[in-house]
Amino acid sequence: MEDRRISERESIEIITSMIARTKERYNLGEGNLLLLWGYLTLGVSVLVWVLLSLTHNPAINWLWYLIWIIGGIATPVMARKKAIKKGAKTYTDRIISRLWSVVGYAAILTTVCCLALFFVAGADAWAAMFVFALIVVSLAEMANGIILNENSLVVGGSIGMAAGIFVTCCIAADIALMATWIMPVFIIAFICMMIIPGHIINYKARQIDERA
Amino acid sequence: MKELDPILHSQLRLAVMSILMNVDEADFLFLKEKTEATAGNLSVQLDKLSSVGYISIEKGFVGKRTRTVCRVTNVGRKAFANYVETLKGYLNI
Repeated sequence: MEDRRISERESIEIITSMIARTKERYNLGEGNLLLLWGYLTLGVSVLVWVLLSLTHNPAINWLWYLIWIIGGIATPVMARKKAIKKGAKTYTDRIISRLWSVVGYAAILTTVCCLALFFVAGADAWAAMFVFALIVVSLAEMANGIILNENSLVVGGSIGMAAGIFVTCCIAADIALMATWIMPVFIIAFICMMIIPGHIINYKARQIDERA
Repeated sequence: MKELDPILHSQLRLAVMSILMNVDEADFLFLKEKTEATAGNLSVQLDKLSSVGYISIEKGFVGKRTRTVCRVTNVGRKAFANYVETLKGYLNI
């Protein structure tokens, strides 16, 4: 493309062609953040489950913080790399980024409340973290799927939401959250919410890349 | 009939503005790839758009490499909208 004067018809052609070129739905690696959180949650959940079964020591539950620590450090680094690789930030990127920021702030607030109740009142409110992880995260994921028109996110989010509502009802009904059933529910929900959609999105992006 | 904005009525500058109208921000390499322009020519046209206030250019670093990020300004947005309106008149759309 050069710096030359153009006809009116050419102007319209340039505008429509440039709009089309910036309209690609996915870039390779777009699903990597979902995969990071999905595999991280899966890994830590299995670790906590195995160690709890072997030791029966409730202090093992502190290992859940590995999800926030590793995810919290890796996410900004990966998001920045993704933005640089992509070369452009769209309005959709900005909305999705803000949506997940809100989820992040809500996660911090929930953690602080649980810690405060634990250290100040000696009360155990950690079940709230399960509810948060299943309901708030799946809500954000469904919104993300609706914005991107990506069904795997909407379906994954719906499964997570169903699990979250079930867990909330159990808590309301004073049914104890036993590791034998809450852990498989949590793990299956996160596989459906994060790991499967992450792989589907990366597969679609790879196909777009091969076609280009 | 109203004259088309001479700054925008150029192949490369119009292409750059059309891209920037569709995104929040785009870096130099993205614009170069999408417009298929040479680095030198693109750089000159970006400076022209920036000098009339249609875009803002931010130069930063990623590691040791420079990264130039461009964004359309409100002035640029209005100019582009006016350009499209005038263009409709020419083409009887």
